[in-house]
Amino acid sequence: MIASRRNFLMGAAALSAAVVTPETVRAMAAMQATADWALATADLEADVAPRAMRLVHGRAPADLTGTLFRNGPGKFRRPGGSVTHWFDGDGLMRAFRVSDGQATVEARFADTPKRRYETELDAVVTPGFGTAGDPRARIGLNDDANAANTAVMLAGDEVWALWEGGSPTALSASDLSTRRVVTLRDDLKGMPFQAHPRYDPDGTIWNMGLNGGKAIIWRLNADRSLHTARLIDLPRACFMHDFTATARHLILVLQPWVFDHRGMPYASQFAWKPELGTQVMVVDKADLGRSRIFELPAFSYFHLGDAWEDASGAIRFDVAAGKDVAFAIDGARVLVEQRGTVPGEPAVLSLITLHADGRAEMASSGVTAEFPKNDPRRAGLPRRLTAHVAGETAGRPLPTGLAMHDWETGRSDRFDFGVRHIVEEAVIVPKPGRTGEAEAWLVAPSINLVEGVTELHVFEAARVADGPVATWRADVALPAGFHGVWAA
Amino acid sequence: MIRLQIATLSAAAAGLLLLSSPVLARTAGGDGSVSLTFETSARTGAVMVALYDSSAAWSGGRPVGQMKLDVAAGETTATFDGLPAGDYAARAFHDVNGDGEMNVNPFGIPTEPYAFSNNAVGNMGPARWDQARFTVSGATAQTIRLR
Repeated sequence: MIASRRNFLMGAAALSAAVVTPETVRAMAAMQATADWALATADLEADVAPRAMRLVHGRAPADLTGTLFRNGPGKFRRPGGSVTHWFDGDGLMRAFRVSDGQATVEARFADTPKRRYETELDAVVTPGFGTAGDPRARIGLNDDANAANTAVMLAGDEVWALWEGGSPTALSASDLSTRRVVTLRDDLKGMPFQAHPRYDPDGTIWNMGLNGGKAIIWRLNADRSLHTARLIDLPRACFMHDFTATARHLILVLQPWVFDHRGMPYASQFAWKPELGTQVMVVDKADLGRSRIFELPAFSYFHLGDAWEDASGAIRFDVAAGKDVAFAIDGARVLVEQRGTVPGEPAVLSLITLHADGRAEMASSGVTAEFPKNDPRRAGLPRRLTAHVAGETAGRPLPTGLAMHDWETGRSDRFDFGVRHIVEEAVIVPKPGRTGEAEAWLVAPSINLVEGVTELHVFEAARVADGPVATWRADVALPAGFHGVWAA
Repeated sequence: MIRLQIATLSAAAAGLLLLSSPVLARTAGGDGSVSLTFETSARTGAVMVALYDSSAAWSGGRPVGQMKLDVAAGETTATFDGLPAGDYAARAFHDVNGDGEMNVNPFGIPTEPYAFSNNAVGNMGPARWDQARFTVSGATAQTIRLR
């Protein structure tokens, strides 16, 4: 698809050779230099109405029924100015609906004040995580800059598009239309509600929001109403995209990417100071005023696995750990440029153990990994498996496969599509009526770069290396998303 | 995926906290007037309005006039009379819960609707004078949406 589209554009350019301008020459040169993974950050110009996907491989499990909602940026460039960082594109909610062996796909942009204003201007002007913005930005409240582009949470007949610096944006689960900005309590309007809520077995939901050295800890009831919200002080002000939890504790991992000075874009405010090491703050869910701090060597991260506590009182969780913040600063910029090499090294799956006596240790699996996901039946409880995307190399951004890591055996059960696919985060979907940790499917989309379209794959969680048991193919390519959730 | 420089937004609130008690419009001697009609979703409390006549006053000085509109009683328009011809700008907030203050969340972001004349929106802070400024010459009117 890339190749044929390029040929088409080159042909079109040739047809108009009589009017070749310096601009068209530059545009052609740019097209030639575009990376083969460029569909990951291609602009989607309009919503994608629901459409059937075609089964192109295997057979769908008869009892797999539900919807994979996924969020991620879908529009980056406008004539008057563009996003310069992967994290700042307009939020695009996708729904892959599976039932009776059939799959459909649809995608709709969150109708945010930012997108509305920038559509009117035909320019991206709003500052973001890595995008500077320009003086035309209109930000009276933090939610005016909300891209609603990071993750998704189920909420009754709504799905909430989550971002990091503001409120959830509620969309209809049935047609993905935007309904409202969610205020959980009037006096907490606009407080940040981050992208990675954690779930207790009883349905309680925990989340956080940051401002400098303070965090709001949100506790929601299973029906998504607010139970309590409380501010806590952090030992340092740093960038923190995720947190994790055991049944009894919240775990905040404070990397040494610390607040340094005010400025925009947002990420420019932080300085990487590895000499500070990484701190882990363990907060008692029953008394948020009680906490312990553990010390680890420096690492960077975006994503953590669910945590658990063993019989000895040790807390364990996994992290996709990096050596520095090169991807966060420059790598994500390269992705939007659609050409070039991502600096730094891919993250590696590691296991952190916080011992009851105050010692902390970190063990690397040696496996390249991002987007760790766990069995939702075991959130906060002992487990051994972590699903993750795999196959990214230093020379080429974005994952090409999926793997299931077993922390008990050290085995990595992996399937790689090769560089013809960009593989997105997998969710673990428990098999109906089953309880075993491996009695589940992995459901994940990929962008098939050869066909130029998005696919949806189902894997047996216990046999990832066997490859997908079913693959459906769309007739459209959606840009690579960030995070998803399965609605059974 | 950003958090804003949240503290700067509370500056928008600070300029309005002066209006903690009802003050009648002060007139400054002139034949100009401006009527500011406010649209807001809540039907409780009061809209507090302050009118400024210079860039210096806008940036921390005294307003030339202040009004409190009783929203529950159906008041939605603030009229300032007797204004000398010239440039003015207004800021307003809706004290929805009637506590006399512009409430903010624990991180300093306003939780009650506010707005500036021309429906100007700032960039992580109050609208600038040059965005909110309008010229009064005779009878002038504006509709402002509190958000």
